[in-house]
Amino acid sequence: MKNIIEIKNLHKVYARGTHALKGINLNVKEGEFCILLGLSGSGKSTLLRCMNKLIDSTSGEIRICDEDVVSALGNNLRRIRRQIGMIFQQFNLIKNLSALTNVLTGKLGYVSLGHSIMFTQHKDDVNIARDNLKRVGLLDFANKKVKNLSGGQQQRVAIARALMQNPKLILADEPVASLDPATADSVMKYLGELNKKDNMTVICSLHFLSLARKYGTRVVALKDGEIVFEGSPKEIDEKKFQEIYGEDAEEVEIK
Amino acid sequence: MKNNKIKSIIQAFFTDLLFWIYLWGCFLYLINSWFEINLKTSFVIIAGLIFTIFFLTAGISLGRKIFVPTKFTNIRWNKTFWGWSIIVVLAVTFIVGWKLVEVNPYKFFTQFKNAGGIMSGIFNPNLDILIMSLTALAETIYLALLATLFAIPIAFVLSFFAARNLMPKTILGNAVYVIIRSIATLFRSIEAIVWAIIFSVWVGIGPFAGMLALMVHSIASLTKLYSEQIENIDTGPVEAIKATGATTLQVWIFAVIPQIISPYLAFTIYRWDINVRMATIVGFVGGGGIGLMLLQQQQLLRWHNVGLIIWLIAAVVWIMDMTSAKVREKLVEM
Ligand SMILES: Nc1ncnc2c1ncn2[C@@H]1O[C@H](COP(=O)(O)OP(=O)(O)OP(=O)(O)O)[C@@H](O)[C@H]1O
Ligand SMILES: [Mg+2]
Repeated sequence: MKNIIEIKNLHKVYARGTHALKGINLNVKEGEFCILLGLSGSGKSTLLRCMNKLIDSTSGEIRICDEDVVSALGNNLRRIRRQIGMIFQQFNLIKNLSALTNVLTGKLGYVSLGHSIMFTQHKDDVNIARDNLKRVGLLDFANKKVKNLSGGQQQRVAIARALMQNPKLILADEPVASLDPATADSVMKYLGELNKKDNMTVICSLHFLSLARKYGTRVVALKDGEIVFEGSPKEIDEKKFQEIYGEDAEEVEIK
Repeated sequence: MKNNKIKSIIQAFFTDLLFWIYLWGCFLYLINSWFEINLKTSFVIIAGLIFTIFFLTAGISLGRKIFVPTKFTNIRWNKTFWGWSIIVVLAVTFIVGWKLVEVNPYKFFTQFKNAGGIMSGIFNPNLDILIMSLTALAETIYLALLATLFAIPIAFVLSFFAARNLMPKTILGNAVYVIIRSIATLFRSIEAIVWAIIFSVWVGIGPFAGMLALMVHSIASLTKLYSEQIENIDTGPVEAIKATGATTLQVWIFAVIPQIISPYLAFTIYRWDINVRMATIVGFVGGGGIGLMLLQQQQLLRWHNVGLIIWLIAAVVWIMDMTSAKVREKLVEM
């Protein structure tokens, strides 16, 4: 299998001097479901945001689908970003717009300004958006304002928005951290399905080992901006877990 | 450590110097106006310097208390020198203020009959000039409306460039931000009435001058309000829309505008409300409308006409106030 992500010696130093990533080397193959583990502040969000250049890295190389992300600008950057769907802990939807309009914004990377202003007039776009909402089981909510939906429903709208991009890769930054355990699992199921059925590569940061074992094909653990473990989810026993999360940590089960 | 000490002594010195120069200046003013003795201004500075140096070295001055921490802090304030200095300076300020403002309670209580004309005018407004006044009033309301309408699109566009979180962190981005923000602050600090004087010379006395004055002032203050609103938006959606590959303009349209549209409308209606009030004042200095008419009738001592105009202005301000509050309430719920 081909590498979809190749990261070499990546460093990120924030403006105030925090050295958040200290020489990350990471390759991800097409079709993997890669779980990022690590304590709060270990650099998971930083790493994910460097991958689509939401933040600039300080040094090192990032290649996604054989394209150089670090130097990409303007239209090149736009082309790279639109193949990468992103899911956030806080859903990051536009709260006072409808679910359908939010899903349509997933298409912005492909269309002109004029086209995007008249989005709801384009039947084919609207139909694809409705199909994507249907996939996450929210067709009935298409015209509801997002702020009236529950957290789990909002995250599913966000997944539908990412699907609208027709992405090869999905970056999910703690997608279930603000949801209850049952809802969390149902949202993870959709990500699992995209990985298996649609063959999308997923990189997902998580705090629950049980979810990591259930959905992940590989685990990468970060600590203080460095990779401290890489391997299959099954390899993480209590000892490894304590290496990643510190001496006093105890595993919390999520069924 | 040592630097800090020198810094706080310098701060204490200048505080004391300001304090003593102010105090001696007040004394000089009072002595000059009461006894008609002409003391030189240089006296104030020399006396100020001497007192500063004396009390600062004595270690009991106000500046010392503020900037140089001491260990003996549990002496009651009314037993200290700095405590008494504050009392003296407050008392002297009050006396100087009374003198400068020419406060005169005697006049207030004995000369009420002078206001008889305007009082009777208010209670017997001259309804014969109703049509004429309504025309002038319409002028005022429309000039306020046009000033607001012209200001909206200009302030709308400018506010995006005056929002720190939207401007790229490059030298150019920063320069644009700083320039627009400073001009807006400067123009806002110049009162609409001053703009009206400028424009009444520029385009001639009349409602157009008034409209231009209110427009400039509105652009400046709406730009500030709007851009602060942009700086307070949730950045999550901005990040998410960027991540889809949207262009900067698309990010603004889809992630920024939906978040700011209802506060923008609320601010704008509030601004129109303010503009209607200011339009009357602006009329006084050449901005046309009901304000100009009020000025003319007052100068002709036609108190019954003045009475009618006052009632009309009050009614309009009251109606504007009510409706704008109601509409803004609705917008907040949206
Ligand atoms: N915008 C920023 N400016 C400065 N420092 C930052 C910024 N964002 C993150 N950091 C710092 O970088 C380090 C890594 O943060 P990051 O958000 O990547 O961690 P994380 O693993 O995602 O943590 P969490 O589980 O809390 O989300 C932290 O020390 C954090 O304080
Ligand atoms: Mg994070």
